[in-house]
Amino acid sequence: MTRRERVLRHRAISTLIVALIGLWCLFPLAWIAVTSIKPLGTEYRIPVEYWPRNPTLDNYRTVLGERFTIQRAVFNSLVVSTGAVAGTLLLATLSAYAIARMRFRYRFHTLYAMQIAGMIPPIVVIAPTFVLMRSLGLLRTYWAMILPNTIYALPLSSFLIASYFANVPFELEDAAKIDGAGTLTTVFRVILPVAAPGIFSAGVLAFLGSWGEFMLANTVSIGSAAVETVPVAVLSLSRAFDLQWAWVSAGTMISILPIILAVLLLQRVVVTGLSAGGLK
Amino acid sequence: MTANRRETRLALLLVFPAVAGLVIFNYYPILQSLLYSFFDLEFTTDWLRADFIGLGNYAVVMQSDQFWYTFLFTLGFTVVAVTMDLTLGMLFALATFYVPRGMRALLRAIIIVPWAIPKVIQASMWRWMLNSDVGPIGDLLMRLGLVEQPPLFLADRVLAMAGVVAAYTWKGSSIAAFFLMGGLALIPREVRESAVVDGAGAARRFVSITLPMVMPTLFVALLYRSQDALRVFDVVYGLTGGGPGTSTDTLSSFAYQNYFRYAQFGRASTYAVVTFILIGIVGVFYISRIKRNFSFRD
Repeated sequence: MTRRERVLRHRAISTLIVALIGLWCLFPLAWIAVTSIKPLGTEYRIPVEYWPRNPTLDNYRTVLGERFTIQRAVFNSLVVSTGAVAGTLLLATLSAYAIARMRFRYRFHTLYAMQIAGMIPPIVVIAPTFVLMRSLGLLRTYWAMILPNTIYALPLSSFLIASYFANVPFELEDAAKIDGAGTLTTVFRVILPVAAPGIFSAGVLAFLGSWGEFMLANTVSIGSAAVETVPVAVLSLSRAFDLQWAWVSAGTMISILPIILAVLLLQRVVVTGLSAGGLK
Repeated sequence: MTANRRETRLALLLVFPAVAGLVIFNYYPILQSLLYSFFDLEFTTDWLRADFIGLGNYAVVMQSDQFWYTFLFTLGFTVVAVTMDLTLGMLFALATFYVPRGMRALLRAIIIVPWAIPKVIQASMWRWMLNSDVGPIGDLLMRLGLVEQPPLFLADRVLAMAGVVAAYTWKGSSIAAFFLMGGLALIPREVRESAVVDGAGAARRFVSITLPMVMPTLFVALLYRSQDALRVFDVVYGLTGGGPGTSTDTLSSFAYQNYFRYAQFGRASTYAVVTFILIGIVGVFYISRIKRNFSFRD
């Protein structure tokens, strides 16, 4: 085989591989996309239509309209996830600084407490958390989701940020101190800028975690559309309108497209975050 | 006060908010669940007024066929789903290294898509895919002549189980792929290239070079995915709701129904505690494995 033939063959096999993996990874999404542009009622037509005869955007208008307001769930998710990320980053940055850069007696205890917490299955904390939220009068509020999600993201975030903090040379810190900078100035001018990528990617991962969280959101929102997040809203939509999958599909598309686009744009951040944490 | 004690004091101040949060939303609820499981709690969580029955809930649960069925299904699901995750994940990861540079970014972007979709929404998407009248999977099987009629995926016990595994693996294989890409990237280029020069075939290269070198990553991935599979909830809840009957219920989904549909807080807590113990067993290996990452300094 000549070199040219080998290159061509490699290219052909690669294209086939990409197509096969693409089929597995994208087909369910493509099927929802196709269903979402079928005129209502035709999604149950037999034989199955792989492309609608009269594609339409009506379903999108419907689910964005007064009866469904799927945009409300997207907004709720944004509020919950943004709130949780803000909390997580604050707590995680503080604790990561201590873990990575200070000597203290309970350092390893703290690390263990964090990592063990990261493995706790949601089912074992859900009922007491529900009871706690009920006694605080926080059921059907954003807080009932923001507060626990802030904590759920801590183990990964702290670990990730700590590993970036650890990479700042101590000489750099000492040099700043010799130049007369106080501790706070050193932290803000020297250490935080170096750790910024780590903090950013911890934030992105925390956002995604809270965005996709279902068990807690489902439990504390108790059917209140005013606070339902995307996963809860889409599931209840699909349960309630099992015979109107054109609507359900349009609702699903609106709910997941923004996050898919965000993940594609931030791909590098997400992936380095995953491997630097080495955990998720 | 010595400098050392001052440093300890400041450090504890810095970790305090995080640790307090963990106590409130993780550790205290675990104790609470454990406590619930010792009481006869029906339609109430006021354990102070309920009867303390010690291990009574456990005794009842351990004697029920339902528990052992759910327990074994959860374990079986974990074995099958994790095997699929890691196998597909490995193939995907290898593929990203095989394809020419130009296609690599495209392939990675394709693989990340399932990862971006919330699990319970994936479950509902798969429910539509597996629709027995107009689902594309049944339709394609029929067109290929493999079946006479589209199978009733979610009404048949075995098919429903297969559906849960498929929907779970859709995301799991993507996670495993990115995990393993990290491991494969650590293999020095020269090692692979010298094997090619030595004339080793692709299969041989994988078994004698790639696999041993990626083994540590694979092992961590195995532990991590096992923990995730043992606590699976979203996919079951959204796809089959545990059905038909309770045949695809996992420990988590069964406990959830008992908590919030039947308000059997005591009984449900035993299932939750068992889930926790199973994951804890895997967790011991996991922690001892990642412990060396703990030494950030010194």
